[in-house]
Amino acid sequence: MAYDERVLVSFSVPSEPGNERLALARVADAVSGCGLSSDQVDRLKTAVAEATMNAIEHGNHNQPDVDVDVTVAALDDGVAVSIVDRGGAHAPAPDAGVELPDLDMKLAGLQTPRGWGLFLIQNMVDAMDVSIDGDLHTVRLVMRSQPTPRPRDPEGGPRAEQV
Amino acid sequence: MQSKCETDVRRLADCAVIEIRGEVDGSAAAVLSAAYDGAVADGSPTCVLLDFARVDYINSTGIALIVSVLARARAEGRQVIASGLSDHYRQIFVITRLSDFIQLYDDVESAAAGVGAAG
Repeated sequence: MAYDERVLVSFSVPSEPGNERLALARVADAVSGCGLSSDQVDRLKTAVAEATMNAIEHGNHNQPDVDVDVTVAALDDGVAVSIVDRGGAHAPAPDAGVELPDLDMKLAGLQTPRGWGLFLIQNMVDAMDVSIDGDLHTVRLVMRSQPTPRPRDPEGGPRAEQV
Repeated sequence: MQSKCETDVRRLADCAVIEIRGEVDGSAAAVLSAAYDGAVADGSPTCVLLDFARVDYINSTGIALIVSVLARARAEGRQVIASGLSDHYRQIFVITRLSDFIQLYDDVESAAAGVGAAG
């Protein structure tokens, strides 16, 4: 493990659309006092919401009796949030050639208007790691407590490193 | 999922103002579409102002709805502008490049002034 981690909270939400709001609220509460700026907390909340939405929809197929498990941990230099669904390898690896959202193409009708979730996650946090263990699919998000520059644009802005 | 998005539509000079409240996510599709229909019903607005001042949540599916509104407006020859976004959602408009196509203003008043100045 690259970091000394201390679990702040673990919880589960049923896989029902909209429950990402429950997850982001609990994560925001858990990381208060961890040294993140309000901007970083907002970015982490958006990343957690998007990752939880993916877990609910694509991992657990909106089955309310299947939970999404969320763990928030304090690191030496920030926080890590792990979001676990039962979708196994449902999601392609972040570097597996997923089509990047292109607004020009979307406006021209050449891409669906959707498809922003992974893009937002990668632009909101400092690192994102995807792992699969059997049917468990885990997305781990890291936000470091030292100030990080804001992303400026899809071409030149910093993106989450993929561990 | 029941939408937690509400809208009001009004007219401000050549601009149709869609005041959005609550949450902009996928469940808001019908609400936003109906608001846009109402906003341009008489065919005359050259500009559609999306006011987000009372929006507390936008997710990726909400971004997709905004893209759809923008695509429709552009196809109809209308300008889309926006006001009232928080710093965080302004940041998201920048990284998605929505801000390349949607001029952002602090509030409805400055948007109206900006459009008037441009016109």
